Amino acid sequence: MRPYEYIRSSSPAEALRANAASEKPHYLGGGTNLIDLMKEDVERPDTLIEVSGLDFQSVTANAAGGYTLGAMISNTDTANHPEVKNNYPLLSMAMVSAATEQIRNMATNGGNLLQRTRCPYFYETSMPCNKREPGSGCGALTGMNALHAIFGWSKSCVAVNPSDMCTALAALGATVVVLQPDGGSERRIPFADFHRLPGDTPEKDTNLEPGELIVGIELGEPKFSDNYYYLKIRERSSYAFALVSVAAGLQLDGNRIVDAGLAMGGVAHKPWKLTAAEEYLRGKVPEAAVFEEAAERAMADARPLDDNEYKVEMGKKAIVRALMQAYERTA
Amino acid sequence: MNKIQEPKAAIGQAIDRVEGRLKVTGRAKYASEFPVEGVVYAQGLNSTVAKGRITRIDTAEAERQPGVMKVITHQNALKLATPDEKLLKLDTKAIAPVLQSPEIHWYGEFVGVVVAETFEQAQHAARLVKFEYEKDEHRTEYKDAGEDDSYAPSEDMQHRRGDVEAGMAKADARVEVTYRTPVEHHHPMELHAVIAEWDGEKLKVYMPAQMVNDATIGISDTFQIPKENVHVISPFLGGGFGSKLQAQEHVMLGAMAAKMVDRPVQLTVTRQQMFTNTGLRQENFQRMQLGATRDGKLTALVHDTLSHTSTEKEYQEPCGAASKMLYQAPNARITHRLVPINLPYPWAMRAPGEATGAYALECALDELAWKLNMDPVELRIINDTQVDPSNDKPFSSRLLNECLRIGAKRFGWDERPKEPRSRREGNWLVGYGVSSASRAAPLQKSAAKIILERDGDNLQATVQTDATDIGTGSYTIIAQTAADYLGLPVERVAVELGNSDFPTSAGSGGSWGAASFTNGVRSACLNITDTLVTLAGHDSTQGDDLVTLMKKADLTRHEAEGSASPTEEFDDYSVYSFGANFAEVWVDADTGMSRLKRILSVGSAGTILNPKTAYSQVLGGLVMGLGMTFMEQSKVEPNHGNFITRSLSDYHVPVNLDLADIQVVFLPEEDKIANPMGVKGIGELGIVGVASALANAVFNATGKRMRDLPITPEKLIATELEPGLARK
Repeated sequence: MRPYEYIRSSSPAEALRANAASEKPHYLGGGTNLIDLMKEDVERPDTLIEVSGLDFQSVTANAAGGYTLGAMISNTDTANHPEVKNNYPLLSMAMVSAATEQIRNMATNGGNLLQRTRCPYFYETSMPCNKREPGSGCGALTGMNALHAIFGWSKSCVAVNPSDMCTALAALGATVVVLQPDGGSERRIPFADFHRLPGDTPEKDTNLEPGELIVGIELGEPKFSDNYYYLKIRERSSYAFALVSVAAGLQLDGNRIVDAGLAMGGVAHKPWKLTAAEEYLRGKVPEAAVFEEAAERAMADARPLDDNEYKVEMGKKAIVRALMQAYERTA
Repeated sequence: MNKIQEPKAAIGQAIDRVEGRLKVTGRAKYASEFPVEGVVYAQGLNSTVAKGRITRIDTAEAERQPGVMKVITHQNALKLATPDEKLLKLDTKAIAPVLQSPEIHWYGEFVGVVVAETFEQAQHAARLVKFEYEKDEHRTEYKDAGEDDSYAPSEDMQHRRGDVEAGMAKADARVEVTYRTPVEHHHPMELHAVIAEWDGEKLKVYMPAQMVNDATIGISDTFQIPKENVHVISPFLGGGFGSKLQAQEHVMLGAMAAKMVDRPVQLTVTRQQMFTNTGLRQENFQRMQLGATRDGKLTALVHDTLSHTSTEKEYQEPCGAASKMLYQAPNARITHRLVPINLPYPWAMRAPGEATGAYALECALDELAWKLNMDPVELRIINDTQVDPSNDKPFSSRLLNECLRIGAKRFGWDERPKEPRSRREGNWLVGYGVSSASRAAPLQKSAAKIILERDGDNLQATVQTDATDIGTGSYTIIAQTAADYLGLPVERVAVELGNSDFPTSAGSGGSWGAASFTNGVRSACLNITDTLVTLAGHDSTQGDDLVTLMKKADLTRHEAEGSASPTEEFDDYSVYSFGANFAEVWVDADTGMSRLKRILSVGSAGTILNPKTAYSQVLGGLVMGLGMTFMEQSKVEPNHGNFITRSLSDYHVPVNLDLADIQVVFLPEEDKIANPMGVKGIGELGIVGVASALANAVFNATGKRMRDLPITPEKLIATELEPGLARK
């Protein structure tokens, strides 16, 4: 990889300052994605600012009646944390389905929010990719796109967000807390606005401003702690990205759905919240026909590419299955 | 020589690996781990077009970087031997010229190498060398290739007997289907690597070599130096699966770089380069035609294979190998055709031909059984033959029917769902599948040396041979063999392998390693005993052990060599290992995700030298077969001609969680025609037929015929039920 400077920051202020002082800085968490991308010559920072040791290491109760996840906690420790398992088991379930134990031990929550796509055109520097090299074209659009988006893509980019954690966060709803480079004032970004669709600027995955540092993920009141399921369809049992995944949570009152959280992974440039299906489900009696109708509504505006028509059918089946598993958990 | 009593004290025992402790404590040295003084590092560069030629190279920026010693391209490379013919057939001794011309034949072909003081410096500078190309239109697609677009590689890849048309006409049931298998890559855990060190005209090479002698020849022929000037050292390999059969281009690249910078050079092939520079298993289209009478007797068998080779080198995976000999079909046609395309050269990968060929043959048989409404186990048994129908030679031993019968009983085959898609467990569809397996059990000339050292009444033996341990436990079975034939405990035998200074063995490949190594060691043991008898002044051992004989001969050290070759009668027989696989697979009715629930492999492979290492071998084959069935594939990008699967995170092999209840059974079998010790290879047998047993189980579970590997969730969702099956 290219030579770079390494700085271990001991405070958020120091990290922000170091960032402002460099030409092409990058914060370093667990490095599970960034270091790979540097080896591949896709990411070319001149300075790495280590932030994984900063004091955002705990799960703490917050004013919203829920818990805030420190950005520097490992994915493993987050998924296994008692407050996370008890209050947001959907998140825990999604997180342990990701990658491998070894990678989860290294990966941080902040870093997970910034995972980059696994589109092979993005990784191979000899192929065109607007995300890596704006203006070079989208190789996948006219090439191989079986693993790509069916929602929200543009002619510039058909890549998908690979994160399991983020799919669950989209279903649960969350707020990303960041420190701004102007001296560390806080900015709070609703999760739905954190990731972007590609549009004409696929090089931007998120709405983070340059230099901003993620310090926490704020969750509201405990949600879907009885009826939840994370279904991940993949080509092997572990260490594979989702072809399609579904995070499903149901809040039941007797035999009626009071609230539903539903999001899909592996289908769009951002975790894809299934708002129409969620709305449809509220007030319904949970049963197969209702879940099937929800799936139809969720997939109504899917726009498959040449090679990924299968994701529409697979997506419907995955939604129905995830809802059924969530419902049957206590029923 | 007296009639030999074949001993079996250590042989046949499930002893722990004698080299196991070295491996798990990190003391077993692999090629790139040898400390070589003054070593510098090389990084290979790859083409980024699939066809064309280099028009301009800019090395200035790379050369300016700290530590960079040299950038080598075709413009300044050493001249190496070039092949006489345009289409050089790959063999394990072949030369491997590299950087000899600006022409590009596939994406990822080596176009240069950067040498620097450190690994990091070499890797960084490698990014900064700029190549410009004149691009030609490349070809990576060939599935619609016709007669005039493909060619038949050689007559011995074609086989015809009887009258296929007449046989098909007589049939009551017919199957005519095409199966596809994708490009696969070997991906042994250990990356290919080389440390090359010149001393004048002498070259020392540390490299993982399955066949040390052939690597030595390939290197000496490529650099046009005497073979005795090349010293290859390869004591341990972290897997090979065929990719390390020959000294490939990266070895020459490392040796060339070492010569040009006059320093020892280490070059490690990256995981990404393992897709482009160390061989691959071809994509194959296998067209099967089977005809059978109502009672299941095959009347005709056709197996036509269409594959690709590189435009520069020819390799044909013999997919029809098993179809030729496995069943009694009086009328048969086995053909192979090739299309030269712009992909890296194909090369033997574990059970070349059988692994992929058995998928087609054994799935087609399952389709036939279903059409005949016959138990697929019975269909195989009915078509058994004790004579190889391709050459009319008797099999030296063949317990295929026993494997099938015993396997069926142990597995509980009679519990099989009789109708496809008829058994459900929650969201899962449950199915059973069966397949036969066969793999040639050759013996290749193999020599070894025994050194005996006596200290009083204590005797220590050392075995030396250039045989290799590709991770399978060669050290252990050789120690067991020498111990028995020398009358010593295993602890008294040291084994030294993988060094071209040692006697030439057959090397590890083609399932001949275990049989050839051990029979070679046996010969050396018998020879050393015979010479000691003579030196002791006896006509026979007279019941004396080696210590007594050495004392009588007044020797504290003695050595002798020996060599094994196939027996004279070997050629009068067809010599194979056989097996049967039984699998239970669960398929999620909605998501298309498949789970292997359990698999039983029953094998007949002669003398099992060590049941523990043998189990591991077959277990590895079964797991590799599981990967072949459900996940392994290298996908070719049509516009650029490269593999878009380019790391182990997107080229999927099984993880622990994919494994299941795995049972391996060997039937007792004595086969003295195969070789005196009766050893038959099992290195490849384990993978053969796994994909078909699993695909047949998927059909039994789902009613879907999966004729295109791997069987992924998206394909299962997109595949329709077999006609005639109502959705249940």
